[in-house]
Amino acid sequence: MDGGPQKPAVGWENGMLAPVDRLRTERADSPVPGLVEGTEPGAGQQSAMFVHAQSFEDLTAEAEEDVEREAELDESGEPSEDLKVLVGEETIEKQHNDDIPPERGTKEEDVSSEAWRSHRKHVFVLSEAGKPIYTRYGTEEALSSTMGVMMALVSFVEAEKNIIRSIHADGCKVVFLAKSPLVLVGVSRTCQSDKELLRELQYIYYQIVSLLTLTQLNHIFQHKQNYDLRRLLAGSEYLTDNLLHRLDRDPGLLLSAVTCLPLASSARDVVSASLQAAKAKNLVFSILLAGDRLVTLVRKKDQFLHHIDLHLVFNLVGSSSSSREGEGWTPICLPKFNTAGFFHAHISYLEPASELCLILVSTDREDFFNMSDCKQRFLERLSKRSAYQAMKEALKCPSYSVEQVGIPELRHFLYKSKSSGLYTSPEFPAIYQSDEEQERMMGLYQDLHSHLHHPTRPLRSFYRCSETENLLAWVTSGFELYLCFSPLGTKALAHSAVNKLLKWIRKEEDRLFILSPLTY
Amino acid sequence: LLHTSGSTGTMASGMQEKQYTPSLLSFFIYNPTFGPREGEEEKKILFYHPSDVEKNEKIRNVGLCEAIVQFTRTFCPTKPAKSLHTQKNRQFFFEPEDNFWIVMVVRNPMIEKPNKDGKPPTVEYQEEEILDTVYGAVVRQCYSMYKLFNGTFGRAVEAGGVELLIQKLEKFFYRYLQTLHLQSCDLLDVFGGISFFPLDKMTYLKIQSFVNRVEESLSLIKYTAFLYNDQLIWSGLEQDDMRILYKYLTTSLFPRHSEPELAGRDSPLRPEVAGNLLHYGRFLTGPTNLKDPEAKFRFPKIFVSAEDGYEELHLIVYKVECPIMSVSSVSFLASVELTRDFCEQLDSLVGPQLTLLASDICEQFTINRRISGPEKEPQFKFIYFNHMNLAEKSTIHMRKTASVCLTSVHPDLMKILGDINCDFARVDEDEEIIVKAMTDYWVVGKKSDQRELYVILNQKNANLIEVNEEVKRLCATQFNNIFFLD
Repeated sequence: MDGGPQKPAVGWENGMLAPVDRLRTERADSPVPGLVEGTEPGAGQQSAMFVHAQSFEDLTAEAEEDVEREAELDESGEPSEDLKVLVGEETIEKQHNDDIPPERGTKEEDVSSEAWRSHRKHVFVLSEAGKPIYTRYGTEEALSSTMGVMMALVSFVEAEKNIIRSIHADGCKVVFLAKSPLVLVGVSRTCQSDKELLRELQYIYYQIVSLLTLTQLNHIFQHKQNYDLRRLLAGSEYLTDNLLHRLDRDPGLLLSAVTCLPLASSARDVVSASLQAAKAKNLVFSILLAGDRLVTLVRKKDQFLHHIDLHLVFNLVGSSSSSREGEGWTPICLPKFNTAGFFHAHISYLEPASELCLILVSTDREDFFNMSDCKQRFLERLSKRSAYQAMKEALKCPSYSVEQVGIPELRHFLYKSKSSGLYTSPEFPAIYQSDEEQERMMGLYQDLHSHLHHPTRPLRSFYRCSETENLLAWVTSGFELYLCFSPLGTKALAHSAVNKLLKWIRKEEDRLFILSPLTY
Repeated sequence: LLHTSGSTGTMASGMQEKQYTPSLLSFFIYNPTFGPREGEEEKKILFYHPSDVEKNEKIRNVGLCEAIVQFTRTFCPTKPAKSLHTQKNRQFFFEPEDNFWIVMVVRNPMIEKPNKDGKPPTVEYQEEEILDTVYGAVVRQCYSMYKLFNGTFGRAVEAGGVELLIQKLEKFFYRYLQTLHLQSCDLLDVFGGISFFPLDKMTYLKIQSFVNRVEESLSLIKYTAFLYNDQLIWSGLEQDDMRILYKYLTTSLFPRHSEPELAGRDSPLRPEVAGNLLHYGRFLTGPTNLKDPEAKFRFPKIFVSAEDGYEELHLIVYKVECPIMSVSSVSFLASVELTRDFCEQLDSLVGPQLTLLASDICEQFTINRRISGPEKEPQFKFIYFNHMNLAEKSTIHMRKTASVCLTSVHPDLMKILGDINCDFARVDEDEEIIVKAMTDYWVVGKKSDQRELYVILNQKNANLIEVNEEVKRLCATQFNNIFFLD
C-alpha cells in the first residue's frame, strides 16, 4: 500500500488491480426489485463500511453487545474529580461554547403557557433520582416537579415488576425510555409511532453517552445518586438541541444510513487512497465530510463504524459554526463501538473557507501531533492530484434535482442500499422549500418507514394516495425505496417508476455511492 | 372469579410453548371526587373487578390511573389520556361522565417458553398486538350498554346516592364482563356498525306501512325497529340508540334464543293460532307463552335519548320464525307497564302480518343470494362501513355471536386493517392505502366521504395495477362505484 502519486494503486487488499470489471458484469444495468442483498444499486463491492446495519431494528435492540474490540481504547479517564478535568476542560464544549446556537436563547419560556405545551416534540432527560438533566424547551429548573412526576410514574410501574412504555391521548403521546442511569421522556404531537419516538430518544441517550462514556455515567450515579449531571453537561446542550433538529429533518437518521457527496468514482478513489496512505499506528477511522455528506471513510481493517456513531460525529462537526481555521482535538465516545472508553478526534477543515472537514479518530489521547501529521501527509498527497480539484468542483453541486431522473410527477425520493448503509436522495423540490413543508415531508417518510418496519407486522410495500401527494414505499432484502409523487401520479406510474429509478441509480451509482471503501 | 383468558398450546420444535391471547386483567370504575381526602381513597372506587383484589392494591391501581390522567394534562389539558402502554398490559381510560372514569386493563398476549432444569418458564409479552382503537371502543361499548339498561351514572346517584350506583354497577358488570371476548375484538368493534338488509322498494314500503299500522293501533308503542335475521331493515330510533340496541339484540338476545334448548323451549317452529290466522310469532322478551295463565308480563327497561335527556321505555322483542329458515323480528319500545291484554292484542295483530311479510323478505333473500353469485371462495374479502348511517358489511366475519366472532382471515391481516383505519382517522381528507404484507396478501383501504372500505386480496403475484383493477371491479359490482378516488 505504498502507491505514490505516480503509481495510483486502487488498494485492493487481494492485490487485484481491476476487480471492478468482473464485478461490473454481476451488477445488472437494469436491476429489478427482486435482486438480492449485495447486488442492489449502491452496494459496496468490497465490504461494508459500517457495522452491518439492516435497519433501525438494531438501534432499538436492547442488547448492548459490548464485543471485545481490537482497538485499545482510552479507558484511563478516572471519573469523579478527574472527570471534571477531562470533560470540563478538554471536551468540545471548550471549543464551541463561544458560539452557542440561537435555539438556546429561547430557553426562557413559561412552562405553563400554551406556547410551551404546543411544541411539536418535547424531550426530557432525567436521572433515576428524578433530577432534571435536559429539556428541549424551557429550563430544567422550571420543570423539576414535572420531571419528578415522570420519574414517579416510571418507578411506580417498575415496582409492579412491569415497565412503562407510553401514554396516549388524542393528538399527543408520551414515550418513556429507561436507560439506566438515565430516563428519557418524549412528548410528541406528531403522528410518529412509539417505536420511531423511542428511536429518537435512543439517539439522545447515545449523544449524552458520547460525551461522558457509560462507564463514567454509571460511576457518577453509583457514587452520588442525586448528582446534578448538568454540571458536567453544561455548555453541550446545543449538541442535543441540534441532534433533535436533525432527527426532524435528516432522512439519514431515519434510514440508519448516510448519504455521499456526488463525486466521480475515479476522483473519490484517489481521495480514499490518499487517506489510506496517511495512516498512523493508533488511527482507527479517517472520515472526510462535505457538510452533511460523506466524501469517503477509511477504517482500520476489522474495525467498523456504526451509523449511529457516524451520525454523532456528523452532529458534533455540524453543530459547530466556529472558526474553520486551526485543528480541534476532542475526546469522543462512540457508544455503538464501545460505551466504556473515549476515542480522540482530530477535527479540521481542509481549507478555511471549505466545507471539507477531515476527522481523524485515534485511540490515543496524546496523539494530536500524529494526527496533525497524518492530515498534512494526506493534504500534500492529495493536492498534487487532479482529484482534489474535482472534489472541490463537486462541492458546488452537492445534490441533484429529481428532474434528472426523468420520471414525471415524481417530486422526491429516498433510496437506501441496505448492504452498504448508504442512501441517496435528490434535493427538495420548490414546493417543499419551507422548513414547515420539509418537516411535513419527513413526517410522511417517517410514517411510511414505521409501516414498513412495524415490529410485528412488517410490510413489503405501502402505497398511499392522498389529496396532497401519492407515496410509495418498497422494501426488499437489498434496498429500501420511498417515492413521493404529486397527487396527479397514477398507480401505474408509481409501479413503473420503481424499475426506472433503480435503473437510473444503477447508472449513477459510481457518483452517488462509495463502491470501493478502503481500509488500512 | 372470572377467567376470560384463552390459551392454546402450540407445539414448537418439540418444546411445549404456550400462547396466551389478550385477556381482561381488571376493570374498574372510580370517581376521584368521592374520596378526595387521604385515607378515604377507597370511597372513590365504585366497582372493581376482580372483586377479590386486596383493598390496598385497588387503591394503588386507581391511584396510578389518576396520576397518569393528571400528568397528561400537563401537556394536553383538553384531551384526556386514553391509554397507558406497559410491557405486560395496556390500560384504557374513559371518562363518560364528569369525573367518572372507567378503566379496563388488558394483558398483552404472551408466549410462555418452558425452561430446562425445572426453572420457571420464560414469558415473552407481545407488546404490539393490541390495537388501542379496538379496545378503546370496547370500553365505550361497555358504558353504552350499561347506560342502555340503567341510564347514566349521575342518574343513579341522584336517585339513590352512591350506594345505588354501586349496586347497579355490580349487578350489571358482574354479568356483562363475562360476555367480553377480548381475544376476538377487531375493527368491527371500532365501527360498531349495523348490518342492513338490502331490500327492493316494494317490500320496503310494505314493511313501512306495517310499522305505521302497528304504531297507530297500539298507541303505547313509541318506537319500532324491524330486523331480518341479524340485519336491520327499519328503525325509528335515534342512530346511537339503535347502534347499541342492535349490538344487544344481535350479540346477546338473539343468540340466546336461537338455541332453543338453552332458552328452555321445545321446537320454536310450531305455528300459533291467533283468531283464525296461523302464525309463527312469539315474544323474545316478556311472556314466554301467552297461553300460560302464570305468564309474567315483565319487559326489560331501556333508556333511549329524548328531547330532555333520556326516557325510560320497555323493550318488547317479537319474533317470527318460519319453517323455511327465515327469521324476522320487531322490537317495540313502549312507555307504560304492559298488561296481558296489550300483549295478546299485539300478538294477534303483529303475528299473522309479520308471518306474511317474512315470506316476502325470504323471497328477496333468495334473490340477493343469486345476485351475489355462487358460494365459491372469492378472490377477495372485504369490510365496508358508512359513518353516516352506520351501515356495515363484512365478508370476513362468518358469524358474530355473543360468544365468538369467527373471521376467515389471519389475525395479523385483521390488525393491518386496524392499522390502516388508524391512519384514516388522523386526517379528514379522502385517502387510499394499498399495502402488501410479508405473507404476500394485498390489503386495500379506501376512505371516501364518510365511507370506508377494506379489501383483502389473495392474489400473491399481482402488482399494484392489477390490485387496483380488482378493487375497481369490486366497487363497481358491490358499491355502485361510490369510491372514485384514483
